[in-house]
Amino acid sequence: MEFLSDSVVLSRMQFALTAIFHILWPVLTTGMGIYLVIVEGLWLKTRNPDYYLHARFWSKFYVLNFGIGVATGIPMEFQFGTNWAPFSEAVGNFFGSVIGFEASWAFMLEAAFLGIMLFGWERVNPAVHYLSTILVAVGANLSTLWILTANSWMQTPAGGEMVNGKFVVNDYFQAMFNPFMANSVLHMFFATLETSLFVIGGISAWYILQKRHPEFFAKSLKIVLAAAIAVAPLQIYIGHLSGEQVYHYQPTKLAAMEAQWESTPAGQPADWSLLAIPNEKAQKNDWEITIPNALGYILEFKQNLSEPVRGLKEWKPEDRPHLVGLIYYAFRVMIAIGFFFAGLMLLTTVQWLRGKLVAKNITQQRWLMLAWVFAAPLGYIAVESGWIVRCVGRQPWTLYGQIRTVDSASRLPASNVLTSLTAFAVVYSLLFIAAMYFGSRIIRRGPNLNLPIPGTEITKPAVDTTPGEFMPDERPVEAQQ
Amino acid sequence: METLKYFLPQVWFVILALFLFLYVMLDGFDLGVGILSLTSSDEERRGILMTSLSNIWDANETWLVLMGGGLFGAFPLAYGTILNALYIPILVMVFGFIFRGVAFEFRELSRRKLFWNFAFGAGSFIAALGQGFALGAVLKGINVDETGHFIGSTWDWLSLPSVLVALTLIQGYVLIGSTYLVWKTTGELQETHYKTAKIAALTTLIGAIAITISTPIIYESARYRLFQQPLVYIFTLIPVLGVWLIWQLLQSLNRKEERAPFVWTILLFVLSFIGLGLIIFPYIIPTKITIYEASADPSSLVIMIIFIGFLIPVMLFYNLYQYIVFRGKVTGGGYEE
Repeated sequence: MEFLSDSVVLSRMQFALTAIFHILWPVLTTGMGIYLVIVEGLWLKTRNPDYYLHARFWSKFYVLNFGIGVATGIPMEFQFGTNWAPFSEAVGNFFGSVIGFEASWAFMLEAAFLGIMLFGWERVNPAVHYLSTILVAVGANLSTLWILTANSWMQTPAGGEMVNGKFVVNDYFQAMFNPFMANSVLHMFFATLETSLFVIGGISAWYILQKRHPEFFAKSLKIVLAAAIAVAPLQIYIGHLSGEQVYHYQPTKLAAMEAQWESTPAGQPADWSLLAIPNEKAQKNDWEITIPNALGYILEFKQNLSEPVRGLKEWKPEDRPHLVGLIYYAFRVMIAIGFFFAGLMLLTTVQWLRGKLVAKNITQQRWLMLAWVFAAPLGYIAVESGWIVRCVGRQPWTLYGQIRTVDSASRLPASNVLTSLTAFAVVYSLLFIAAMYFGSRIIRRGPNLNLPIPGTEITKPAVDTTPGEFMPDERPVEAQQ
Repeated sequence: METLKYFLPQVWFVILALFLFLYVMLDGFDLGVGILSLTSSDEERRGILMTSLSNIWDANETWLVLMGGGLFGAFPLAYGTILNALYIPILVMVFGFIFRGVAFEFRELSRRKLFWNFAFGAGSFIAALGQGFALGAVLKGINVDETGHFIGSTWDWLSLPSVLVALTLIQGYVLIGSTYLVWKTTGELQETHYKTAKIAALTTLIGAIAITISTPIIYESARYRLFQQPLVYIFTLIPVLGVWLIWQLLQSLNRKEERAPFVWTILLFVLSFIGLGLIIFPYIIPTKITIYEASADPSSLVIMIIFIGFLIPVMLFYNLYQYIVFRGKVTGGGYEE
């Protein structure tokens, strides 16, 4: 238990833990924001009350996730100062500014218009409301842009150089548009969208399986499917481009992702390892299944590589990432989920074209709906895996090739960090359990299909509802939206 | 170039002061309402208290995130050193935020609200306490080496003066929270907060007097600054104005005015803030590191002005718009359908 007295290791664990938990919530809100823009737009266009009710129902998940996202995100910002003070000082010129941009461009926008989006249905006119919904979605996605810009720069630091232990920026735009930036932003943008789509699809499928409002939820499933047809294949393509970039810019990470210990010189074919048991001590894979020549095709679409693939052994152990097995498997899990999503999307599209997704027979698509329910949590697992590959694979550097992780951490008493780490672990686990509990409560309660539609006098149910218990709303008018 | 090196850090000092002030004012009443919810007698009242904040709490808290991000970018050395030195108060604040933030959503969905009510109130109190200790510690001075890196120990932030600052800040938050509730509520609830506002006005006054008297006695560095010409006139004027403002505040409370107490309290906050700014400037880590020593490169500061500066009026506008949309008294105890 040596690590318990090493404040650098503990700070790393704390950052990893808070990041792994935090990302769960914004992933959903960023993608779902776009979904809410779509359904509200459909409502304004068609005036079909179902779309309005979809907007209201799914926004309950939005607000739950947003609240926890904010609460767990604020510690992330402060940790740069508390636990990583030398890093903050060294990279403040660029990295610090970008963190400031995130707060002003993205977070404030989302926070300011969220109130109107959630509680303003009766207070502003539909156009202003729709604008608020759009601005909330834009704000959330701008967060992705800035955070991924900052993180990409940590992967491929550009636009300046280290002078006396500080990164001096010569060209801000070069730093911002660093080699990883565009693909990383897109990859994460599609990841949040895909995760949210499959969560919404999964929950909808669950209702359909339960035969609760199947007609209503067939609608959301079809919206999800229409979006997934574009997103799922694109994500695979962007993922491929990201992999190629890692090959060019971060050879140590690529070697760990593929568990390549030996180098393959240029001009030769390289095998792709499908499954393996990497052994760091022996610097080899204890067991392995490989596909001959496949790595060449994956990286360059041809059998013989034009650049060498360097193996881990080329670097001294202190210059290459550890936890090779974790990086290797996290990478494979992410890819498997990406392809599963694309497959499920294809299969469902075929059923749709065959007319099997209409209200009267969609409940008979038992296996397909079960597959959607199964897919609901997979996006999260893919996102977490991807981030593990990205950030564990960047080690031993915080700023790739420039600043080492050991030199980035504040000199803190290990007992302090251990205490805060424990507190985070306990509180975040409780938050996770509470979020699951309350999220499932929203699901069990189901949508309220009796909501009055803004701008109309109609009080009768908008769609067929299975009669439930009637609960008169005794709260003051202000509260009854 | 030399002028820029003086001018730009000053601009950023002012911008960050503005962000911090907006934070202290807006999240101040927010946290104050949270602390007051611990004294609420029943569920309905707590419901109204939380409803009065439901649409604004995260926008209010964002000013702190913005201040943090700005400090990180504009004064990276100060960001690292101060946060490093204040490890415990900052984490205390952060955990306070976590509890009160999730309480908004979880309370709404929960059948047994007692725990989340408590999490909301206690979280607000803990967050305010952490901020108070942080402020107290910064004023008292952070132990740094000649390059500005923290060399003190874990518990440096805890001292008698920082306890005094923390308690006074909490009183100030309760005061602005009370006057906000006077503005936003009616009936019995409003009556209660006329009372809490009066009590808080008096306790804040006592705390402020104690701080005013003890500052030149305890802090040698501040003493020098306070009695410098011509600042000495300003520093004499501030407490006098402060007492006058509290007098006006108490009178408006006695007259049962609804909005004036909140306005007087804001003016009181403005005044304390100006005083604080004048004591600290031109330091960012008081009496050790100046804003010029801690600032990022001039080019960074320019880029940040370009990217953030023009957004400040925009952000102010849409925050204001939010308050306009949700103007009027809060009556309901729940905010979801």
